[in-house]
Formats: sequence, C-alpha cells, structure tokens
Amino acid sequence: MSLPTRKILDRAFSGAGVLAIALMAAALLILLVPMFTRGSQAVFFRATVEHRRFLLEKFERGDRAAIEAEIQAAQAARAPVWRLVADFESRLAEGEAAGRGKYRKPLKELRNELRFLLGPEPGKPRPMLMRDQYGQTRLDMAQLGLERVLRREEWDYSDPTKGGIRILKPRAEDFEGTALAELFPYVEKNFARMLLPRRTVYWGFLTDESFDSHFFGGIWPEILGTFYLTLGTLLLAVPMGLIAAIYLTEYAKETRFLALLRTCINTLAGVPSIVFGLFGLAFFINVAHVSPSKSVLAGSMTLALMILPTVIRASEEAIKAVPRAYKEAALSLGAGRWHTVWNVILPAALPGILTGIVISMGRAAGETAPIIFTAAVSVGKPLAPWQTLTQPTPALSWNIYNLATEHEAVDLVRHVQYGLVLTLVCLVLLLNLLAIFLRARIARKMRN
Amino acid sequence: MDGSARERGSLRLSRGTRRRQRLAAAAGQLFLLAVTSLSALAVFAIFYFIARDAIPFFRLEGFKEFFTSTRWYPSAEQAEFGALAIFVGSGLVTLGAALVAVPLGIAAAVCLSDVLPFSARQVVKPVIEMLAAIPSVAYGFFALVVLAPLLQRSGGPVLAAAAWIVGAPVAALLAFILSDLLADRFPERAQRRARWAFLILLGSGAVAALSVAGRALSGLEIPSGTNALNVSLILGIMALPTVVSVSEDALQAAGRELREGSYALGATRAETLLRTILPAARSGILAAVILGIMRAIGETMVVWMASGNASQIPEPWYNLLEPVRTLTATIAGDMGEADHVTGSARYHVLFAMALCLLTVSFLCNLGSEWVLRRTRRKAGG
Repeated sequence: MSLPTRKILDRAFSGAGVLAIALMAAALLILLVPMFTRGSQAVFFRATVEHRRFLLEKFERGDRAAIEAEIQAAQAARAPVWRLVADFESRLAEGEAAGRGKYRKPLKELRNELRFLLGPEPGKPRPMLMRDQYGQTRLDMAQLGLERVLRREEWDYSDPTKGGIRILKPRAEDFEGTALAELFPYVEKNFARMLLPRRTVYWGFLTDESFDSHFFGGIWPEILGTFYLTLGTLLLAVPMGLIAAIYLTEYAKETRFLALLRTCINTLAGVPSIVFGLFGLAFFINVAHVSPSKSVLAGSMTLALMILPTVIRASEEAIKAVPRAYKEAALSLGAGRWHTVWNVILPAALPGILTGIVISMGRAAGETAPIIFTAAVSVGKPLAPWQTLTQPTPALSWNIYNLATEHEAVDLVRHVQYGLVLTLVCLVLLLNLLAIFLRARIARKMRN
Repeated sequence: MDGSARERGSLRLSRGTRRRQRLAAAAGQLFLLAVTSLSALAVFAIFYFIARDAIPFFRLEGFKEFFTSTRWYPSAEQAEFGALAIFVGSGLVTLGAALVAVPLGIAAAVCLSDVLPFSARQVVKPVIEMLAAIPSVAYGFFALVVLAPLLQRSGGPVLAAAAWIVGAPVAALLAFILSDLLADRFPERAQRRARWAFLILLGSGAVAALSVAGRALSGLEIPSGTNALNVSLILGIMALPTVVSVSEDALQAAGRELREGSYALGATRAETLLRTILPAARSGILAAVILGIMRAIGETMVVWMASGNASQIPEPWYNLLEPVRTLTATIAGDMGEADHVTGSARYHVLFAMALCLLTVSFLCNLGSEWVLRRTRRKAGG
C-alpha cells in the first residue's frame, strides 16, 4: 500500500474509535435528556387550581383564604358550562324520543370528558374515587383534557392493508344547531379562567404519600422502601464481604481450595439477577421462612447475596493496594497479624473499600429483578423500621416497571413514572459521583 | 500485643498467654474462613434450590417437549410447555446485543487505550461508568416509553439514518482500501490516476448502494415498537461498559514493548493495533465479549418491558422487527401467576428455565475465567 493511503487508513482507524466513543456518549445523552426534562416536570410544573385544592383539602397546605377565593373564581367561570349541559339535558328530556336517542351517547361522552377536565359537577354527591373528586391538577394534563372535550377520537379501518387510522372529529359537529354548540368555543376561550394555571414547585412529590394508585401525591413510600432495601442490603453484605476480603488477601494460602473459593465468588457474580430473585423466593421465603411472605428483610438478603461478590472484589483490590511498607512497619513494631489488619491495613484501605461499597449500593438500589418475588409491592404505606422484618414495600425500581406497564391508565401517570425514573437515576448517579470523588481523593493521597 | 501491658518488664510471655493467643488466632482464622466459605456456599445453595424445584418439572413433563416444541401455553386446560421459541428469543436478542456491543465496544476500547490523550480519557471514563450505573429498569423504561413509540411512528427513517451514520464511514474506509489494493496492480505511472478513478467509482457505488438501502429502510413500517430490535439496541448499550472496560484492560496488558517494537518497524498506529496488539490481546477481548454477552442473557427488566413478550420464532429467524419472548422475561412475568399454584408444572417450569440460565451463565463464566487465566499465564511466562 502507498504511504498516503496508509496514513489515511490510520486516521480512519482512529476516527472509527472516536466515532464509537461519540456514539456511546450520544447514547448516554439520548437516555438522560428525556429523563431529566420530563422527570423534573414531576416537581416543576404549571399547576391548576385543582392541585391547590387537593393540597388544601388533603394536607391543609397553602393559604386557605386565597385558595378558596381562587376556587370561587374558577367555579364562577365554570358555571356556564355546567348550566349549558344541564339545560340541554332537560330540554332533551322534554323533547321527542328520536332526538334523545341521537344525543344520548355524545352527551354522556361529553359529560365524562368535562368531568375529567374540571372535576365533579357542582351540586352532585361527592364521588368515591379520588380521581373523580378533582379535575386535572397539571396544565399539561388539562390541555389533554381540553383536547378530549373539543375533539373526539375515531378510528378508520376502511383500508385493510394498514392498521386503523386515527381521525379527530370536533365534538361541536355532534351538537350542531343545538344550544350546546356554544359550549365548545366557551370552554376553549375560558380554559385559563376555569383552571387558573400557575407555575408551581411541588417538592411534596418527593415527600408525600401517593393517593388513588398514584394519580395524586408523591413517591415517598417508594423512596423509603428503596432506602430500607439498600440499607438492609448493606448491613448484611458489607460485614460478610469485608471479612471474606480480609481472609482472601491476608490469611489464605494459595491452595486449590482457595482457587475453588474464587471460582465460586466469580460464579456468584455472574448469576443473572432474576435467578437471585427466584432463589430468594425458593430459599429465604419458602424454605427458611425468614418472613411469612414477601418482606424487606427477604429482599435485602437476596440483594445482599447479589452484591456480595462486588463488595468482596472491591475490598480485595483496596486492601491489596495498601503499600507493603505499612504492613511491614506494623509487623516490625511487634504488632500481631490481627492488629496489623485492624489498625493499619483497614484504615489505609478504607477509602477504596468505601468506593466499592458506594458503587454496589447504587446497584442494590436500582436492581429490580431480585425483589419482584421477595420484597416489592406496587401500592403501600410507608413502613416503620420494625415493619421491614415482615412486610413488603413499594420501591422506586419496581414501581417504575409497575406504573409503566401494569397501571390502569399508563398514559395519565407519565409524570409520576418519569419522576420515579429521575429520582432513581439521580440517586444512582450521585452515589457514583461520590465514588469518583472518593477515588480522586485516594489518588491524591497516593501521590503525596 | 494484648498481653504486653500485663507482662510489662519482661519481653517473654508466659506459656499460658502464648497458648491462649495462639488459640484465639486460630479461632479467629477459622471464623474468617467460615464466613468466606459461606459466600462460596451460596453458589451451591443457589444451584441446589433452583435444581430442586426444576427437577419436578422434568419428571412431570419430560425433556422433549420443553426443548423442541414452540407451543407455550402453560395456563391452558391442556397445558403445553414448549419453550423452544423462548430459547430462540433469548438467543436472538443476545445476538443482536452482541452485534451492537462488540464492534462498538472494541473500537471504543482501542480508542481509549491507544488513541485518546490522557485528559480526554478522564472525560470518557465517567461516561462509561454512568452507562454502567444506570439501573436496568431505567433502560427498560426508556425502551418502552421513548424508543418503542419512536420506532413504531417513524421506524423506517430512523433506521435509514442509522444506516447512513454507520454505513457511510465503513463504506468510505472500504473504498479507500479497495481502490488502493486495485491500483497496486497498475504500472507505477498510472497508479495515482487509477487510484482516484477507483476511489470515485467505488465511492459513488457505495453512495448508490447506501441510498438504495436507505430508501428501502425508510419505506419500512414497523408494526410494533416493542420488538427484538429495540431490546437488542438497549441490551447492546448496557453490555458496552463491560466490553469496553475488560477489553481495554486486555489491550493495556499487551504491553509497551510490543507497541514500540511495531512502531520501530515503521508500522502506523492502525497497523500496530490491528496486526500486533489486537492479536496479542485476543483472549482478553474474547473474555470481554463473553462477559458482555452474559450481561445481555441475564438481563430481565429491559426484555420484560420492551420485547413484546410474544412466544414465537420470528419469520425468518433473524427478523429483529418481530416481538420475541425471553427466558428471563418469562420467569419474571409468569411467576406472579404461578406462585399460587406452587407444586404444579407451571410453577416448576420457571425453575427449569432458571436452571438453564444458570447453567449457561456458569459455563460462560468458566470460559471467560479460563481464557483470562491463560492470558495471565502467558503474560507471566
């Protein structure tokens, strides 16, 4: 090959590497950007008057007089809507049967959509479900509600080669020529007056309980559950991992038995997480009966088993990285083996060990598969510490799955899903940041 | 020493103290050994308890149906437990993940270890660590809520764009190499002109091929966004950090002398890496690939959320655009219902699947360990 070509190929080769890294960074960015932009909207959003009413009635939060005045104003703006509907209905009841049949279904649909947007009709008994007691609390959801009031979704299956095609039909057409037709321009024009949207920072998302299967409130039970699970995991895994690491580095002789031990630990590291979950169910719950059914304790035990190899390896590395001179100095001063380990080697290795622990903490907090059968439920109250021994808990990771796939109205709780994802990702990334910081400190200390 | 305060004045310890100390030390060591063995015993316990619940299934239903039939109707009146399609699904998404993670991962590892300057490496490392740290359920959520609708709505154009981004650099590279190789056959005087001619010819051919492929792809309609392609992409990204960091270690371990020797012979960086370093680090890279694949096989949440969970063999088998079902997702998804019928074949079949997973991951682990140990011995001797 000619020299210029070789040079070009060399550049191209480097370019391919840089392209790979750029793709990787792009993947990270594409992953994180929607999580951060949509996730932060769980806390920072435009709240309607319904949100403030909810906070006032449920938690006594906010300035009562001001909010009640707002509610009054909103009700006043909504009154014409309900009056139009009621008038139309009563006129329909008086009118001939043919008209009743024609308008019954569209009217019922319209009423449902209006209730979805604005909450229950005034003067009717208070509905049972919380989601029926309030209108839309968030402006983005309210806009969706407005869209549903104004337009009806239809599916066109006339072309059999394609799936159904979505068509949006204005509801005003259904009521053309009736008194109700003027409702639609009114709703569209007075949307803001009926809901009074305002920029809000709702930190309660992180500290409030959830109500009515996550339609309202926050994610405190999930945060607390993840905290308990992670803490329990650490309490179980760290002492064991540390002891194993000390034994493997300081005491064990290189025998065949040790090689077997190491192979076992490596195998444990490679076991798929779902198999851990199944083992937790088959052993901790069904055989060992650590708790009558799922519990935080059983989940923590399963997770501890999963992160054990990581803790052992990280601690081993950290202990091995302690300079030999430390150990020799301690031994030459007459310290015994155990004294050397406890007073000299462990303190010196501590930052490294902490780094490993912090990283495995992130793993334990984010892992879902092992807790499906051992610890997680989708809805629950926040637990008191002693309840963790016997009771299951909601957790961030499990509820992301659950809300995104098994919830009854997946599309209506998107903000909660994104909020959960962002909370979990932030938690894990902060832990990793902490690990990076610790590692940097070790590096600095080693240089000095 | 413990006894030193009491025995002040004489350096020699009494016999009793010494014996006590020696006993304490032995007991302490035994305790350490016991705890360490406990973590090793856990592996055997896992194998035992999974197998204990898996064997009843094979006793009830036999092996043949499980491994050869594709009819998976565990909750039907006449229950059928043909898991072949599920095995194929697991294999297919793992293969897809490997197709994403292996080339990208090795290229990135080469770039990290030999191309980028130290300061740039300090920036890239955290990116890899973050990719590794993001929980799998967050990846799954992204696959289900962002990627799946995107693929369903405008899958064709997205695929076409991806084909251009990946295909264009590869095609340019190929055109360069081929034109140079072809031009070598011409007499000295005409070589330069021939090279240009070939380059233009091949280049325009590649552009034509790419635009044909791009147009074909952008006309593609994907019936469902939750399919094997979606999952393969995400699993590939999840396996990347493992592949990158293990193969980077292998490349670093190949040593400075090899590189310097190759440079001294006049090789460019690309030639050094391709002809010398990559072959030397071969087994380490193989271990990296095995570990990456293991990560993809064992992953649960992503495939459960975004693979479509349809127990069928795609038609043809490599059609990534169809939904599939994997072993991990089946275990996670069916246990909720099978839990109430503990003891039935429907409950035990999930353990049989877990046993298969466990065996595969165990073999992969042994393989990677064997490969790595061989490398270490070679490097040592």
